[in-house]
Amino acid sequence: MKNMLKKVFKHWEVFLVVFLVLEFVVFGTANPKFLRTKSIMNSIVNYISVCIISLFVTMVMITGGIDIQAPSIIGLTSIIIGVLWSDAGLNIWLSVAIALVAAALCGALSGFFVAFCGVQPMVVTLGGSFLYSGIALMISGMSATPAYQGISGFPGKNEAGEYISFRFLGKGDVFGIPTQIIIYVVLILLCAWILHRTKYGERLFLIGVNQQASEYSGINTRATIMSTYVLSALSAGLAGVLVTSNVNSAKYDLGSGYTLAIITAVVLGGTLNTGGKGSILGTVLASLIICFLRYGLPLCFGVSTQNLDLPIGIILVLVVVGLEIAGQHMLSSLFRRFKK
Amino acid sequence: MKNPLKARWMSSLIFLIALFVITGIIAPSFLDYTNIINCFNTATMYTLLAVGIAFVIMTGEIDVSIGATLGLTAGMTGLIAQQGGSIPKMLAVVLLTGAVIGLVNGLGVAYFGVPSLIFTLGTNSVIRGLIYLMSDGRTVENFGGVFAGLNSMTVFAGISVYYAIALVLVAVAHIVLTRTRKGKYFIAVGDNAGGANLVGISVFGTKVLAYVLCGLFAGMGGFVFASKYGQVMTVAGNGYEMTAIAACVLGGISLSGGMGNMVGAAIGAVIMSSISRLLVFIGLPSTYNNTITGVMLIVIVVVDALAQRRSIEMTRRKRLLSRTAEPTPEGGAKA
Amino acid sequence: MTMKTATAPRLQVKGIRKAFGQNVVLKGIDLSVDAGEVVALIGGNGAGKSTLMKIIMGIYTCDEGEILLDGQPVKLGKASASLAHGIYLVPQEPMLFPNMTVLENILMGFNEREADLRKRLVDCMAELNFTLNLQRKANTLSIAEQQMVELLRGMMRNARILILDEPTSSLTFNEVQALFKTVEDLKKKGIAIIYITHRLTEVFEIATKVAIMRDGVITLEGAVKDFTKEMLIQGLLPGGTEETCIKEEQCAPLDYRHLKPVLEVKDFSGYGFAHCTFNLYPGEILGIAGVVGAGRTELISTIFGRDKTLGGQVLLDGKDITGLSTKQILRAGINFVPEDRHYHGIFKIRSISSNTTSALLNDEEVGKVNMNNRKQREIADKYAKEFRTKIVSLDDLMGSLSGGNQQKVVIARALSTHPKVVILDEPTRGIDAAARGDVYNIIRQLKEAGVAVLMVSSDMEEVMELADRAITVFQGRINGEFSREEITQDTLTSAAFGIAHERKVSGE
Repeated sequence: MKNMLKKVFKHWEVFLVVFLVLEFVVFGTANPKFLRTKSIMNSIVNYISVCIISLFVTMVMITGGIDIQAPSIIGLTSIIIGVLWSDAGLNIWLSVAIALVAAALCGALSGFFVAFCGVQPMVVTLGGSFLYSGIALMISGMSATPAYQGISGFPGKNEAGEYISFRFLGKGDVFGIPTQIIIYVVLILLCAWILHRTKYGERLFLIGVNQQASEYSGINTRATIMSTYVLSALSAGLAGVLVTSNVNSAKYDLGSGYTLAIITAVVLGGTLNTGGKGSILGTVLASLIICFLRYGLPLCFGVSTQNLDLPIGIILVLVVVGLEIAGQHMLSSLFRRFKK
Repeated sequence: MKNPLKARWMSSLIFLIALFVITGIIAPSFLDYTNIINCFNTATMYTLLAVGIAFVIMTGEIDVSIGATLGLTAGMTGLIAQQGGSIPKMLAVVLLTGAVIGLVNGLGVAYFGVPSLIFTLGTNSVIRGLIYLMSDGRTVENFGGVFAGLNSMTVFAGISVYYAIALVLVAVAHIVLTRTRKGKYFIAVGDNAGGANLVGISVFGTKVLAYVLCGLFAGMGGFVFASKYGQVMTVAGNGYEMTAIAACVLGGISLSGGMGNMVGAAIGAVIMSSISRLLVFIGLPSTYNNTITGVMLIVIVVVDALAQRRSIEMTRRKRLLSRTAEPTPEGGAKA
Repeated sequence: MTMKTATAPRLQVKGIRKAFGQNVVLKGIDLSVDAGEVVALIGGNGAGKSTLMKIIMGIYTCDEGEILLDGQPVKLGKASASLAHGIYLVPQEPMLFPNMTVLENILMGFNEREADLRKRLVDCMAELNFTLNLQRKANTLSIAEQQMVELLRGMMRNARILILDEPTSSLTFNEVQALFKTVEDLKKKGIAIIYITHRLTEVFEIATKVAIMRDGVITLEGAVKDFTKEMLIQGLLPGGTEETCIKEEQCAPLDYRHLKPVLEVKDFSGYGFAHCTFNLYPGEILGIAGVVGAGRTELISTIFGRDKTLGGQVLLDGKDITGLSTKQILRAGINFVPEDRHYHGIFKIRSISSNTTSALLNDEEVGKVNMNNRKQREIADKYAKEFRTKIVSLDDLMGSLSGGNQQKVVIARALSTHPKVVILDEPTRGIDAAARGDVYNIIRQLKEAGVAVLMVSSDMEEVMELADRAITVFQGRINGEFSREEITQDTLTSAAFGIAHERKVSGE
């Protein structure tokens, strides 16, 4: 028994898969509507920001950092696209490109402070979340459209009613699969490759375990750490583009409220918050678990959509505590001892 | 040790004064006693939250559930007020609730060893859900009476009752932390938990106590919230945890634990809550609020980090250089 | 084992067993310490000494067995309980509060009045001959100074049972002598002392009783006077193997006339050292001796690009590498084994193969963009076999290895980049006798392969045994150079302490 548990916990992802399957069984039995492919895909589309950003925040956390500013960048990208397109009259794709560059710059700025000035990442990105959401609000103020309304009317739809151009990203589909999900799958593969197959990924892990020892191994730890923040900001920018396209509205506060959700997905996915351990698969599974809970609980058990925090919170607490009790207790207390 | 610490919260205070002076130069009408005292009075809630979370941060942990705790206790206060409950009853309920939440957080972190960010993220969601269940998803409102009047009551010189109480609490916390043996345990645990254990300090007990205190302060914050606004939405207190953390950081409390001071946290809270008021006087739209907060926070922590790194580096270099100064008869190795 | 029946021993442990998961660390330990007795506990890393001490200190609880104090069974589940019983552990890795002053560090956790404590502290320091600025922050202290603070803590607690976990591993010669004097005093005061060490000579110097631990059992125990050094070494070796580790094998002396230096350090200055000039030849082992804090570590880590250069030049094969980044210096052909394994050396929660190849990530040997896992394992496997590293699987975490085996992996990493120069900073610090022998063999093999080795060591015997040539550093300057014939414990020690300025290198 103890052995089996150990094996399971050695691969945290196994546990997550079991949980995910259980979700399908329970929700599917309670309400067969849950199993409709279209609705399932839709639920992912509704949660796409958290899904995408958590992939890259995983990398940040593996280096021992944390990124709580990404959600503010969603809103920033969105409003930049809106203002450039609607008020400045730029081409929509040029607007998107500029917005993504801006997102990358935000990440670079915070990353610089973390990596080169030695400020705690939690503090820098906390400041960043204030700053970038503030800038988004200021930019929103430049638009002719009132901030609360959101800029809409993005291109486009053809005569057949199909989404094309910019709106294809958020609303279109390829053979029935939403574009957003295709992008998500591509990003999952990309991240898994980067983190688990490349030398860059290996560096991220090494830095997270012991930055000093990485320096002695000739790794440029500062630039590497900074790059993870640029990547996560870029992913937040991309999420901003997708959400804007999906809801056909550019607003400064599109990402608000995702902060804790993203961190939850990453840590539930098994990434050690002190760095050095984690996996993309774990993060993906955890994001999907939360995503389907949000979709299934209201549908099958009539939980109010406004009150999804409670069950998800309870599950998170139970899982992390259970995890500690079930055998990782010793291991993690060891980590704690060595953390200093 | 004493001097740099002093310098750190002093610099926060100087920063606060500078903010007021600059606003005063741009808009002389700001430099009015009522205005300035109001900056402090409105900081009550953040002061309570910041001081509470400061205990936790000093031990090297974090608590992101305090915003939700504040929301829950505010809602409870409102419900009791609706039913005409007495103030002692409200206080008993909010303090008890805060303590229980703190205890749960403390046990999760210190006993089960769950990383504090993760555990309190979880309890944050749970408490948010409880708020929803408690209020049935509706805003708690239409309460008031004597209770609402408390908020505008002043003790002397325009200082509100609440802020006066908060100030007393800050002073007590400060003295306990700096002057008593056990008070120093909070910092010691945050500085080196293993080392603290080895000299007989209960790391577990200290952390649990820190969380309970944090919960108590958040509970008081909830009471003040209800009294101040007269209505409690289900999202009440959302994001307050980040503001409280920012206040602590501004006040010079290190998020890695083992460093900081309660007075700094209190000053940080005043800075955080004053920004929007200052903007009004300077004539900037309130949309600048977050930008300025963000810039300020980043500039301060970056400057702080660089200065600290520089001073450590300078002392190290000075010491190393003194070793290679012309050899003296007495060895310089331990100078 | 001779049990005194008249009076119960001060501390006695009986049948202690402890397992972490399936890993049984202690398999029934019996040990007793009388008042006024110094029990030297020796054994390889991973033998279970530290675990046993942590159980006595109340940090771990044992699965089976009992602990008796003065014959009374006690329950020690918490450190505070052990402290209350007068047990104090001076840990091997100092456990200070980095943001607090030395004074606060020492006085933390006491219940007495501060004024009284200060007075006692002053007495303690005078007794120990320690000079330390009490207002300095702990994070500015060197390891030796941190150790001093830890010792002071123990003294201040008036412990009845004092556990010293390798207290001398980072102390200088006269600090060690001062410590021994203190231990003698404490012995006379009737304090029971458990003294963990790797240095066999120390056993004969201060211990009254010796116990050898291996694989979780005590294999040898008795009064020190009944043993010789050879017997102890025999007891440390795994059953059946002959003593093979330390052999006095002398290679032919180097012929310097035909050699061109691979590394030339010219008038090199930085933080902690000044105007250092020396050459290093291929196939040579150059020992750098000196006391802790003399500037040796600063000198070599600055060569490795870890700190700013203030003047002078470093040439590798005639090419100027002064002030380059560590990454560039690694590429140029120098690698480094740091002194502080935990902070600078190992990646505790990464696999052994990851640890072995971490310095290769800038090379294309393990892949251009993608990580070549097969190649990585090949390299790790090669070194593990070559160095006789005790591992179960290359995928095991580095943290699961003993100190000696970790050090072998770190050395393997230093060699993986095929350097021309290998810099070793205290290569055998904190590792057991068997691993030490292996490390010596590795260093000799390097020499035979024509690699130049620069070795900092506080262990004079080590320098004598390995070095072709030695330089001594005193107060940041090189104050002596010794050829193989000139190297003796005496010449090195006196130069390291700046006593005999045989060939003083000019200052300004």
